[in-house]
Order: sequence, then C-alpha cells, then structure tokens
Amino acid sequence: MSATHLIARDELRLMARNRVAVIALVLLVLLTLAAVLSSWSHQRGIAELRMRHQQVAAAAFKAQPDRHPHRMVHYGTFIYRPLGALAAFDPGVDAFTGNSMFLEGHRQNSANFGDVRQSSLLVRFGQLTPAFVLQVVAPLLLIFLGFGVLAGETERGTLRLLMLQGVSRGQLVRGKLAALGIVALIVGLPAMVGFVAVVAQPGTLALPMAAIGLGYALYLALWVVLILLASGFARRGRDALLALLAIWTVAVVLVPRIAPDIAGAAVPLQNRLQTDVAIARDLRQLGDSHNPDDPHLAAFKQSVLQRYGVTRVEDLPVNYKGLLAMEGERLTSGLFDRYAGASFAAQTAQNRLVDAIGVLSPTIAIRALSMAAADTDFAGHRRFLEQAETYRYALVQRLNRMEAKNVSYADDIAEDAGADRRKRIAADNWQHMPDFAFIAPSASALAAAALPGISILGLWLAVATLLLTRVTRLLGARQ
Amino acid sequence: MTLWMHELRLLLRARLSVVALILMAILTAAAVTAGMVEISRQRTAIAAIPAAQSEDIAAVADYVDRTKDAGSAGYYSFHPTWDAPSPLAFAALGMRDVSPYILRVRALGLEAQIYDGDIFNPELALPGRFDFAFVLVFLAPLFVVALFHDLTSGEREAGRLRMLDALPRGGAKLLRRRMLLRIALLWAALAVPFLVAAVASGVGGAAIFAVLAVILAYLLFWTALAALVARLRWSSVANAATLAACWLVLVLVLPTLAHVAINRAVPIGQGAEIALAQREMVNRAWDIPRETTMRRFYAGHPEWADSAPLGSAFHYKWYFAFHQLGDESVATKVRAYRSGLERRDAAARMLGWVLPSVGVQALLTRLADTDVRAQLAYQDRVRAFHARLRNFYYGYLFRDRPFGRVDFGRAPIFAARMNTAGGSNEAADRP
Repeated sequence: MSATHLIARDELRLMARNRVAVIALVLLVLLTLAAVLSSWSHQRGIAELRMRHQQVAAAAFKAQPDRHPHRMVHYGTFIYRPLGALAAFDPGVDAFTGNSMFLEGHRQNSANFGDVRQSSLLVRFGQLTPAFVLQVVAPLLLIFLGFGVLAGETERGTLRLLMLQGVSRGQLVRGKLAALGIVALIVGLPAMVGFVAVVAQPGTLALPMAAIGLGYALYLALWVVLILLASGFARRGRDALLALLAIWTVAVVLVPRIAPDIAGAAVPLQNRLQTDVAIARDLRQLGDSHNPDDPHLAAFKQSVLQRYGVTRVEDLPVNYKGLLAMEGERLTSGLFDRYAGASFAAQTAQNRLVDAIGVLSPTIAIRALSMAAADTDFAGHRRFLEQAETYRYALVQRLNRMEAKNVSYADDIAEDAGADRRKRIAADNWQHMPDFAFIAPSASALAAAALPGISILGLWLAVATLLLTRVTRLLGARQ
Repeated sequence: MTLWMHELRLLLRARLSVVALILMAILTAAAVTAGMVEISRQRTAIAAIPAAQSEDIAAVADYVDRTKDAGSAGYYSFHPTWDAPSPLAFAALGMRDVSPYILRVRALGLEAQIYDGDIFNPELALPGRFDFAFVLVFLAPLFVVALFHDLTSGEREAGRLRMLDALPRGGAKLLRRRMLLRIALLWAALAVPFLVAAVASGVGGAAIFAVLAVILAYLLFWTALAALVARLRWSSVANAATLAACWLVLVLVLPTLAHVAINRAVPIGQGAEIALAQREMVNRAWDIPRETTMRRFYAGHPEWADSAPLGSAFHYKWYFAFHQLGDESVATKVRAYRSGLERRDAAARMLGWVLPSVGVQALLTRLADTDVRAQLAYQDRVRAFHARLRNFYYGYLFRDRPFGRVDFGRAPIFAARMNTAGGSNEAADRP
C-alpha cells in the first residue's frame, strides 16, 4: 500500500474516532435528507396546486356563456407558472416571484401571490433545500473536519517524524486531500442520491442534472483544496480554523449579500408607476383612442375603408370596432413589450454584475449555476413572463377578431333593450381557445446555461490546486 | 482604571482582535450606508409620484371633460398610494424590497388590485439585503466567536492561566474585565456607525435607545454562550468550532427548519382563490338582470338606494356596483387569507422568544416598521383610501352629477400613515 493511501486511511480513521466529527456528519446527512424530502414535497405540492388552478381557470374560461367577445377580453384568464421537477433540488427565485398571473386586454398585470409575501420573516433567513445545504452548510462542516489535517501535524511536530520516515510532502498532501475528498463525497452524496430519486423523469433531464452534479462536485472539491491550503499554510490549527471561517463568512454569507446591493445601485430599475405612466404617455402619442381627431387612428380608419373600397365604416363587411380593438391592442402590446424588454435588460445587467462579482465568491457562481440548470433563475421567470405575454396577446387578438367577424357593427353600437342579446356570440367559441402551455427549455439549453458557472468554479479549482502545490513545497520549511 | 488601560493595550496588540474590531465597524458603516442609500432611493421614488401622477390625470381629465362622465373618470383614473419609509427603515429593510411601497388603485374592484406587486429583480432579493439587521444578526456573532473563543483556553494553552488565577485581582475578575472590555468595544463598533446614521435620519430617541439595547442584549447572549462553552475547558480550536457550529444552527439551520414547519402548519392557498372568485362574481353580473345587481348593492348600501333607476343604456353606476359586490363576495376568503398571514407571522414571532437571531430580526423590523405587520397595515390604509375613492365617485355617479376638470382636483388624496415607531416622519410622507 502506498504512503498516500496509508495517510488517507489513517486520517479517516482519526476522524471516525472523533465523536464530534461523526455526530456532525450524521447531522448533516440527516439535514440533507430533511431538505430533500421537504423540498420535494413542497415542489410536488406547488406543482399540483398550480396545475389544479390552471385547470380550474381554463375550465372556467371555456364554461362562459354566450358573450360579447370584448367581455371575454376583460374576463381574461389566469395562468400559473408550472414548477419543473428540478426545482425540488433548487427552487431558486420561485418563492420570490409571483406565480399566478391574470391576463386581460389592454393591461399587463404583475405576477402575484409569491411565497415571499405570504410567509413570515423567516423566509429571509434562507430556505431549507438540498442546494442550500450543499452551498452553505457543507463547506462549513468540511472546514470543521479538515482545518487541522496539515496544521495539526505541523503543530504537534509529527510532520517532521513523517518526513523522517520517508514520506514526501506530495504524498502527505495527496493523502490528506484524498481523506477530506472522501468526506466531501459523503457530505455531497445524499443530496445527489436524493436528487436523482425525487426527480420524476430523470431520463429527459439527465443533462442539467449532470451539470448540477458536476457543479457541486467542483464546488466541494474547491473547498477541500482551500481547506488544505489554509491548513498547510497556517502554523497552528487555530489560525487555519479562523482563517477558513473568515473565508467562509466572506464568500458564503457576505459577498452574496453585498453583490446584489451593488448591482441594484449600479443599474436602477424603473418602478411600476413610472412605467405605467410612461406607457400611457407613449400611447397618447401613438394613437389616442379617446381623441376623435387622433391622426394615427384617422389614418387607420382611412386605410381600412380603402382596403374594402367603401366610404363609411357602416358599409364595411367587418365590424370596425373589432378592427379598432385589434389596432389598439397592437399598439399597447408593442409598448408593453418595449418597456418589459427594457426592464428585463436592466435586470439581466444586474444579474451579470452579480455574476461578475461571483468571480470573487464561488458561492455566487454555484448558486447561479444551480438555478440556471434547474430553470429557477431570473431567466426562467422571464421566459414565463414572455410566454405569458405572447399568449395574452394571441388570446386577446383572437377575441377581437371574433368581434370584427361575428358581431355586426350596427349591433355593436346599438344601445336599445335587445342590443345586449344581439351583441353576444355563441359560447362554443370559447371552447376552441387554446390553453396556455408553458414551453420549458430543452435539457441541453439548461445544461448550457450552467456552463459559465462551471467554468468559473473550474478556474477557481485550478488556481487553488496550483497554490496548493506551492504550499506543499513549503510545508514544514517554516517552523 | 489603569488596569483597564492595560487590558486595552493588551487587546490592541493582538492582531486578530484589532482586525476583527475594525472590520466589524467597517461592515456596520457599509451596511447602514447601503440601507440609507436604498431608503433615499425609495423616498425619491415616492417624491416623484406627484409629477408623474399629474401628467397622467391631466390626460384623463382632457378626455373626460368632453363628456363630463363621472364613470369614465372613475374608470380611467389611477390614484397613487405609498408607504413612506420610517426614519429607522434604513437599519432593517425587512420586506420593503419585495412588497410594493407604491401602489396605484382605481375605484374598481380592489381585490383584483391590492395584491399587485412592483417590479423587482428576484435574483437580487433572493439572498436578502445587506443592511444593519443582517450585520447584527448574522455577522456580529461570528465576531464574538473570533474575540471570545480563546479567552481562557488561550491563557491555559500559553501556560499562564494558573499564574493569572493566583494574581491579586486576577482569575475571575480578570476574566470579567476582559469580557466586558471586548463586549464594550464590539458594541461600540456596531453602535457608533448606527448612531451616526440614526441621528442623520432623524430617528427618535426611544427607537435609538431600543436598538442600542437590542445590540447589547444580542452580544450578551453570544458572549454568554461563549462563556458557557469555555466552561467545558476544551482547547481554543474546539471552542471556536463549537461556537461556529452553534452559530450555524441558531442563525441558519433552525430558522429555515422553522420556516418549513410554519408554512406547513399554516397553509395559505386563498390568495389565488380570491382572485379567481372575485373575477367570477364581477363578470357574472353581465349575465344576470342588472336590476338584481342593483337591488343587492342597494341592500348593502342604502345611502345610494334613492338613485334614479337604470335606463336601457349602459350606466357606470351599475358597473361600479358589481365591482364592489365582487369585492364583498370574497370578504370571507380575504379575512381567512389575512388571518393566515398573521398566524404565520405570529408563529415566527413566538419563535423569536426562543431563537435570539429570529427575535432580533423581528424586533428590528418591527421598530423600523418594515415587517409583515407593516405591510398589512399599509394594505389597510390602501383599503381605507379605496373606500373613500368609491364614495367620492359614487357621489357623482349615483346622483348623476357631471364630472368636470375641476372635479379631478377634488378626489381624495392618500393620507400617509398617522404615526410610526421611530419618530415622526411627516416630511417624508408628503410626496
């Protein structure tokens, strides 16, 4: 058996004899299992609830009686953001975004009823998920178990004895590395096994799951190397521990909190009131439907009349009010898209800035990677909002087209007692409306979104390993 | 006195303690600055309301003035409400980054409006804000660990403990001196930057005193824990590891576990149901006789019952009436939803009595008026304002009074909060 093997085995035996270490490890495994189970049941519960709500909303829409199509534009529909299977591992921003959205004509509503506004203050302490355990708790446990692996030998003077017996510095460090690596594996494995077990269709999601697995392997490996570095560099175990605790505090707790503040201050977001007022202003300039002499709408009317070769809207073969509604919706939706696009761009810029700061904190990198692969990051939420808007626009325009085709202009402007009845169109029209179906990104796209994070972690690991070889060479040289 | 000076000199000679104290002060200063920047950003946004609002309302008035139709005025006018930050809000931003502090409402169904949120980046909100509360609750205990873990064990490991015990005014007295000195310095590192920011923000004396006391109490808890661990007579390393593990459990693990438990114990599903049910009620009005709607409305609101009967043409009073009936039909659900929110919040507060980390966070956000209760209180003010809005427009609609340009100026204006913990903020309330 090689010296490296012996050292690794010896170190592990030492840890196994340390009752506190074993208890801590068992507790972490239990915590991981609790996180996997609670996160899984939470995700399942939410996914089912939203699916049920979605079905209720769709059924309610289809069950509407004979109506004027414009009433249906205002009746609108509710859609719910489905929660993917990988959210059981890392729910990401799901609790912080609204997940139910009311879609109607003329307006773009916010997504409401997010968990964060429905929970106690505890929600801001973090969420118990497998991702949280691996990102935050696992490194701390590794620090507790590993800070003394080299510093202890130096402190006790056993380092010299080992060297006298012919153990090279490289063998020693590699042996310790292997021992702590095995501990990291024990720490990380339950979460990963649980992850695979709870994801219902692992086959189709194999790629993003592999990306997440690789990411966390790199992350924990990085901590193992960092711990060896500090332990090899420090003269006393206590120095190594305090230094590692400081690094952990800065990288895991502090920087992930400061980075968003910097990003938020650097790239301001326009709030809803200002956006709404700006959209209303732009709309008045584009075509003010309240102004009978509006040039844009007058030109629109003229072009419609010309297309059909008539001189009065009453003579049109279609209902002019429906056409006008379509034109109005086209104008407002164009503005919605423009302002939402600007806001999304600003938020993406903020996230880029945080990612850039992530070069300083591997925790930011692993968090971004993990959310991106699980499709629970801002990009995933944005995808939902954009698909919702596309669906809203298609639905409203479909209804407006029905008004143009199936309701006569004369009926539409009539106000006599029977007019309400004549304006309505048959209920079976609503039944042919397509339901909202969220199109999830492909597995390869999710995995690709994790690549930047993986490369940052890889880079960190490479640099740390390089440093470790230097520290290894100096091991025991300073006394 | 000279003994204290000697201790201070001794402390300042240790690199670790000096670095720790300076770092604590820098982090606190950075956090209160970040908090003040955020709050001033929010104040600026609130101050910008009138300009945007008058432009928006002027355009509606231009249109409505042609028809003098009060219904159109009520339908198209959005009225701003805002939740001005308290002077102390900079110290604990609480929910202010995820809950809206500006909300515009119309006199239509409120239940379809009051749960709307503002635009925020969820990825930035996810890790929580970097504010004074974070520095105190999360970081300060770690500095306590750094400064206190080797107080006795360090002397023992250096072989000085017995000698110190034998000295006159040594032993327990010496230890107490050292602990008090460290607590005082750490407290100052947290309190001085806070005090400067609080005075600059115009926080009232009572609130400042309360926060200073909270800081001290929280530090005392952690030093007591450190002293307790020290009694086990373990090595410095074991002490540091044990204390850090305690921190992990008390500050991170238990609150997240409790969060899961509370949300499990108090399920809240009514939110989305309110929205669905209210919409059904509102839209059903188009399929039932309008007189039925009016009868039901007048039964609940006899003050408008003497209004003229509906003609065959569309009248906005019917439209507003069924919107209000829609709100009233979900009142039970709304109460259940709210009581669920309150029960979750109360459970977390109860936990605060056992978990100091949660307790301090709850106390600070309460003092700063940025917690769940503050958000619910803001919703109450929005509800009260919305009732006034309805009453205002109904006065025109149900009496068939014309609504001209000047009437826009007569609309009720949102009254900011009456008073707050943490001092008066009348100036801040005026947008």
